[in-house]
Amino acid sequence: MTAVVSRIRITSLQVFCAVLVAAVLLQGLITSALDAPAARTASTVFVAVCVQALPFLVLGVLLSALITAFVSPRVLRRVLPRSSAAAVPVAGLAGVVLPGCECAAVPVARRLIGQGVAPAAALTFLLAAPAINPVVLVSTAVAFPGEPGMVGARFFGSLATAVGMGWLWTRLGRAEWIAERARRRVDNADRQRWAVFAETARHDLVEAGGFLVLGALFVAVLGVLLPASWTDALAGQLVVAVLVMALLAVVLALCSEADAFVAASLTTLPLLPRLVFLVVGPAVDVKLIALQAGTFGRAFAARFAPATFVVAVLCGTAAGLLVLGGAR
Amino acid sequence: MRRETQHVLLLLLGGALIKITLNGDYLRYVRPAHGWWVLGAGVVIVALAGVGVLRDLRSAPADVTGHAGHAGHSPWLLMLPVLAIFLVAPPALGADAVVRSVDANVVAQRAPEFAPLPDEPAPRLELSDVVARANWDRAGQLDGREVTLTGFVVRRGASVQLVRLAIVCCAADARAVRLRLDGPLDVPADTWLEVRGTVRTGSATAATDHVPAMTVHTAHVVAPPPDPYEY
Repeated sequence: MTAVVSRIRITSLQVFCAVLVAAVLLQGLITSALDAPAARTASTVFVAVCVQALPFLVLGVLLSALITAFVSPRVLRRVLPRSSAAAVPVAGLAGVVLPGCECAAVPVARRLIGQGVAPAAALTFLLAAPAINPVVLVSTAVAFPGEPGMVGARFFGSLATAVGMGWLWTRLGRAEWIAERARRRVDNADRQRWAVFAETARHDLVEAGGFLVLGALFVAVLGVLLPASWTDALAGQLVVAVLVMALLAVVLALCSEADAFVAASLTTLPLLPRLVFLVVGPAVDVKLIALQAGTFGRAFAARFAPATFVVAVLCGTAAGLLVLGGAR
Repeated sequence: MRRETQHVLLLLLGGALIKITLNGDYLRYVRPAHGWWVLGAGVVIVALAGVGVLRDLRSAPADVTGHAGHAGHSPWLLMLPVLAIFLVAPPALGADAVVRSVDANVVAQRAPEFAPLPDEPAPRLELSDVVARANWDRAGQLDGREVTLTGFVVRRGASVQLVRLAIVCCAADARAVRLRLDGPLDVPADTWLEVRGTVRTGSATAATDHVPAMTVHTAHVVAPPPDPYEY
């Protein structure tokens, strides 16, 4: 498309400059439009989510670029068990080593698939990494000082979700659901490894960054639109409370290091719905769905996100009943 | 989107992150400990864009990774945070965010032992510390002690509250810490006040939603602190 088709063809750089100039000229108009209290709150939350998540996304694209440029598919095949059903639990436990929010795990999982890791194992890693790393478990312990069972319940619920989704993918998943661009192998055998590294990181950042921003927009708008008192009505109804808290985890899209504190603050609810909130949040939320749709394609996200939601609700509930010993 | 546009966009995005860490605005959005992360991310983003520009200048973009040079339209969305940071610079959350949340303090049950209060007249304390002590301190160290607090004003009907927002990661998880102010105060919402007064013993109970009440001795308007949240 770099070939000039006609002389007056408008390039994206010109559009970009035009938008920039227009925004600067209309700055007064934009700021006064955002001066309404609700718009101000939403714009602060929007920038906060972007600023909070971008460093994690940068960490993720650097890791994914390292994998692409320096890890040969042969090494990965030797490290992981041959059958993908056996590789899934290994990938789940490997999630312990990536302390970060879900934004970091998405590009890494994509490049693992590109370098020949079975999709089931890479997707297990994607779900496990943000949910069961040490930082998340410690912050859960701090948020629930009187309930040491919450840490174990969260760990087992999240691990079961990740491994369960991996096995489900082994049985039912089809490679063609994942967009072709995410499955493409990058040849790193030649001498240009640092070039591959820089270009992969830059490319993944541009691609995933846009979707991260889309997720942040959802979080900001939903945060302002949802009345805060709606959880009060749930106190006596356990099943409804579990489902509503699961949906709340999807729309709030909190980072997995902070969600335990929000769950701890909902003191009118029993522990079980709050645990489901903690298990669902890192596995599926609006920010993550946007990122997955951008990275793996819409066909993938349309199947993977609802399935993950169901599995996470079931695993969270089971972990609560077994580890916490009932609904409480 | 063309590669050149992507480079410019990344330079602006990285520049925006570097700018808010250097001028301190990042404290409106994330906790102070995240500052180094944000700065590092900004530097890496600028570096990635710089490497891209240099490589494209040296040679026609040799596509080492097999990606087409044109990503879809999603990268355009990256303009939003860039424009928001450079043109709007949204302020820290204030009274509007507090009024949207449930009108109650959330206090985790804590061990009843608290560190002794500083041995000075009207010590300066964090609002969340005072609220925790008012709810749980069995030793009653706050009883009759004059303390100094800083926060912004939130009006709920006739009552006036002094509030700070506490955050864990970023402003999206902010939670309000409230204290009711008793005394004739005629200031609009979102005004930052430094208040000296005593917390009324037994005023923070489940019946008052764990919101303690303070008898105000003096109050004067102060500038918003650079670090608007408690942690």
